[in-house]
Amino acid sequence: MTYAWALGQRALREAWRTPEALLPTLFIPLFFLAVNVGQAARIFPSGSTAFLHGQGYGAFQLPSSLLLAASFGTAALFLVEDIEGGYFDKLRATPIPRTAIVLGRLIAESVKAVLITSVLILLALIFGITIASGVLGFVLLVALTALWAVVYVGFMQLIALKTRSAAATNSAGLVFFPLLFLTPNFVPRNMLTRPMEIAATFNPVTYLMEALRSLILQDLAWRHILPGFAVVAVAGAAMLALNVRMIKHYD
Amino acid sequence: MDDVARVTTAAVEAESLVKHYRSRNEVIEAVRGVDLRVETGEVFGFLGPNGAGKSTTVRMLTTLLSITSGTARVAGVDVGRDPDAARRKMGVALQEAGLDPRQTGRELLVLQGRLFDMSAGEASTRAEELLALVELEEAADRRIKGYSGGMKRRLDLASALVHEPDVLFLDEPTTGLDPASRLTVWDEMRRINARGTTVFLTTQYLEEADQLCDRLAIIDNGLIVREGTPAELKAELRERQGLASDPTLDDVFLDATGRTRSRSAGDVQEVSA
Repeated sequence: MTYAWALGQRALREAWRTPEALLPTLFIPLFFLAVNVGQAARIFPSGSTAFLHGQGYGAFQLPSSLLLAASFGTAALFLVEDIEGGYFDKLRATPIPRTAIVLGRLIAESVKAVLITSVLILLALIFGITIASGVLGFVLLVALTALWAVVYVGFMQLIALKTRSAAATNSAGLVFFPLLFLTPNFVPRNMLTRPMEIAATFNPVTYLMEALRSLILQDLAWRHILPGFAVVAVAGAAMLALNVRMIKHYD
Repeated sequence: MDDVARVTTAAVEAESLVKHYRSRNEVIEAVRGVDLRVETGEVFGFLGPNGAGKSTTVRMLTTLLSITSGTARVAGVDVGRDPDAARRKMGVALQEAGLDPRQTGRELLVLQGRLFDMSAGEASTRAEELLALVELEEAADRRIKGYSGGMKRRLDLASALVHEPDVLFLDEPTTGLDPASRLTVWDEMRRINARGTTVFLTTQYLEEADQLCDRLAIIDNGLIVREGTPAELKAELRERQGLASDPTLDDVFLDATGRTRSRSAGDVQEVSA
């Protein structure tokens, strides 16, 4: 873990020194939040829309923006840079466990995700959104988003290790958009058309979104929260196993 | 007994080293059975045309590439069976200077030290020593992306030396450098070797091999086709071809790889520094 932390610190320095890669992670989700709220807020007035639990439509949309921000992790692209530039081989020539090389980036990504998620939520608070589940809810909101960011970027790292190509890795990031939109993104699941409802039910991101949304709109509703953490746990275990396997067999 | 073992243990040994790559419909035999022995303290040159198997061999010896068959040992450690122990014995500077452009030179060396189990203090002290060795003290706290090609090569050399390896692998360390930077890297290599480190050098520059190497091997089509000191190889060619004067290492190379000067254009570059 010492090696992974040392490499994580290096990845954090890298992120700090590349603000141009970090700023869109904040700006784009806020942009989508503003646009979506601007387009649909009048359709769903807070006073007469039960699923908003007394908040504005922005509170309902915030999870989408958080998940969007979580999909903007840069670890995989920096990993491709390391591979292309030869530094990855330099690290592989050291006597550290191979897993530390991928874990280091994931540790850094989790720190970044906690900071970015916290900033997004704090900005949302300034604009009148409240976290109905309180301080614990806030912590869970940040933790679940950050964990998903790590899982997602971990899958991107797999693409990076397999293809060793920045273009392929970048394209893989676009996979997120269908996943994000095949969810109860604009309305709750029971208001979707039947085909969309079926698609959303099979989409694991739905359970993340519903968990995040319940933390914002309701008091701690574990029946919504736990499925979100379960998705992260299962996907995270698969991601870690595949990353370890991939780096150990990297030739 | 230890002393005897030390004397008889080669710095690098390879026996019947083979590397096959699987492509869609075929198996590519990049290295087809390389036998090598590099003695401790030598500067050993490993030459060959592009695609001959030089880098593949070096990547196998340095644990970066799996071995299809055969064995390789560095400082007595089997690189296939105990790669981590082998990595502690060797320093590696590959074709592209493998550096992180967003770190400073000092940060890179300190991190390298940490990855070789040094404490923060030890790594910092070692980084300072190495920055002095490669004369990069003034640029130590600048980001590497601003370094010149020569500075990057010197820093790459320094990072390969952090853990004071027994064997230093240098894969085309002067490719792309201007003559002055090339001479500086040569000086560094000589200094490193004078301190007792065995140097395994791959290069396409024949004059570089002639200047620096105690012994060398030429690889072609995945097989070693010549091995000896530069003087031995030249003398052998002179005798075999009945030449009036000593041939150059270029002639030895062309003879060994079955190339002519016109055919070798693009494969071999001759430089003077």
